[in-house]
Amino acid sequence: MSSQVEARPIRPRRLRIPLHTQQAIMGYLFISPWIVGFLVFLAYPLVQSFWLSFNNLENLVNFQIKYIGLANYIEAFLIDVRFLPMLYTVVRNSFIDVPLIIVFSLFTAIVVNQKLPGQGIFRSIFFLPVVISSGLVVRELFGQYQAETGGSPIVRGIDVPTVILLVGPEFARTVFDLINRLALVLWRTGVQILLFLAGLQGISSTLYEAARVDGASEWEKFWKITLPMISPIILLVAIYTIVDSFTDIFNPILDYIKNLAFAGQFRMGYAAALGWIYFVVVFLMMGLVFWIGQRHTFYAGER
Amino acid sequence: MAQIAEELRVKARREGLKLAWKGRLQSWVGKAFIYLVLFDISFVFLSPVIYMVTTSLKTVADVLDPTIYWVPSGFNLDNFTLSWKALKYFPTWSAIQQAWTSGGIVALYTLLKTESAFFRSTIIAVLAAIGQVISCSLVGYGFARTKFPGREALFLLAMFTFLVPPQTIIIPLFIVYKQLHWIDTYRPFIVPAFFANGLRGAIFIFIFRQFFRGLPWELEDAARIDGAGWLTMYWRVMLPLAKPAIVVSFLFSLVWHWNDYFEPAIYLMNQENFTLPLRLSIFWTALNEVTGGQASRFFNEPLIMAASFLVIVPPLILYVFTQRLFVESVERTGLVE
Repeated sequence: MSSQVEARPIRPRRLRIPLHTQQAIMGYLFISPWIVGFLVFLAYPLVQSFWLSFNNLENLVNFQIKYIGLANYIEAFLIDVRFLPMLYTVVRNSFIDVPLIIVFSLFTAIVVNQKLPGQGIFRSIFFLPVVISSGLVVRELFGQYQAETGGSPIVRGIDVPTVILLVGPEFARTVFDLINRLALVLWRTGVQILLFLAGLQGISSTLYEAARVDGASEWEKFWKITLPMISPIILLVAIYTIVDSFTDIFNPILDYIKNLAFAGQFRMGYAAALGWIYFVVVFLMMGLVFWIGQRHTFYAGER
Repeated sequence: MAQIAEELRVKARREGLKLAWKGRLQSWVGKAFIYLVLFDISFVFLSPVIYMVTTSLKTVADVLDPTIYWVPSGFNLDNFTLSWKALKYFPTWSAIQQAWTSGGIVALYTLLKTESAFFRSTIIAVLAAIGQVISCSLVGYGFARTKFPGREALFLLAMFTFLVPPQTIIIPLFIVYKQLHWIDTYRPFIVPAFFANGLRGAIFIFIFRQFFRGLPWELEDAARIDGAGWLTMYWRVMLPLAKPAIVVSFLFSLVWHWNDYFEPAIYLMNQENFTLPLRLSIFWTALNEVTGGQASRFFNEPLIMAASFLVIVPPLILYVFTQRLFVESVERTGLVE
């Protein structure tokens, strides 16, 4: 076997771009769709909306605006009697719903993560809310109409003992409301269960084996292994749940801003101001969640 | 001496057996409990759907009959035919044939576009999902696999966009779209999707970035030695491996766009262009236009349930066929590491 080495002349390069510069250029090219999209579909509207919130829309046809200073914000806080209660409701609901959703979805994920025959079927059922997340359909199912005709299907299905009706209609109503609310909250957990499930499967089984050798009970394993290992995902789920609630059909701010800006008076300046107040409030809320999360989140190894 | 040893042995065996039985009993009780919990949670998720289906088959007489709750008296499909018409779900076969013979594909498209909410919803959801998968996979690859100044900051910024409520930016967007004459077209949903934005675009960037980060670097080294450029590497080496991430992103994007209500409610003003959820929101008016009646919600729950079911049935069918992919892919994308 004779090996023949071809003597190939080295081609002289006119322009030699160092590899890391090349890489940087390619990197910017790869993310360029997002940069353009971010500037056009997010940064610009965000700034524009901020500017609009200090103006009043004078003419709808050519979108002529007039600067009115802080008047929109003053109106939101001092004159509008509907907005602040709505904002309060939204914030309060988040504080109630987020922990409920975290606990329920974590619990469901742990249960469905057990190696048992038939759990594939249960998994498929638990992700149904991901598919049927159409707000309007959910409203038809759980909505206020049914409250008048004896509760939503879920309440009637649970067979609340009729004794509570004897205690008094007010009490019965509260119980129905509570169950209805709970059912609604549970219906918002599809993605969260998925996230927790993926997180649970990422926990190395050697940890559990070591704990078993040391004689830890299931209860101890949950508190000492599962919970710390999954804490980053708890933070993720909390943020996702808050973001998910922005466009939730039961979010009163959604309809309020929509109707202000696009129905009747077309008060776009005022609606933009409300949008910004809402943004700041939810942003502070998420900041709080992050702050709490950072203190209690356990990161395994370096990340 | 031997007797004592024998006695001890017997005793130990008895104790051991007892312990074994205890353990078995415990695990039995544990399993039964877990199944009980699983059935309970399933009930929460399944009962509204079952209720929706059974109610949609009821007649008005069934609604008024207090003895009928879960099982309707007969198999009555009238509610579906009526809701089908009120939702403008899909034109009749004869109308399709007529359009085809009179004007070919153009007439057919016009017919579907104006007469089928199902068609409009499908177009928006499918095109937007394709756009988000293409653009977000590119961007995710860029963030995961190339190094450039400001990468971390830009990625943080991309994640930050997820936190901005659509309420805050929708008004300027509406004004821009209005000036571009995009209102009452599909473009406000599809164009941002192709620029890695749109409905929850940040999530898909995140999914792809996490996935690509988990792949071994040797792949790229090998490909580069073979002379592959950056695009070849992305297209030929990385993308084929990213099937789980593609599947998850596509399915989620599709379902979210299908179910979206807020943005279509603002960008689509003409009822001719409404998507299925929007048609559902004007259901009673549309129904009365079809029947010339004065129907309202009272005693007509079967109708709205039939309509709701028709709206969710396409994603539901999709889910039945892809639920394995849904569940497995999320686990394989390394979404949460």
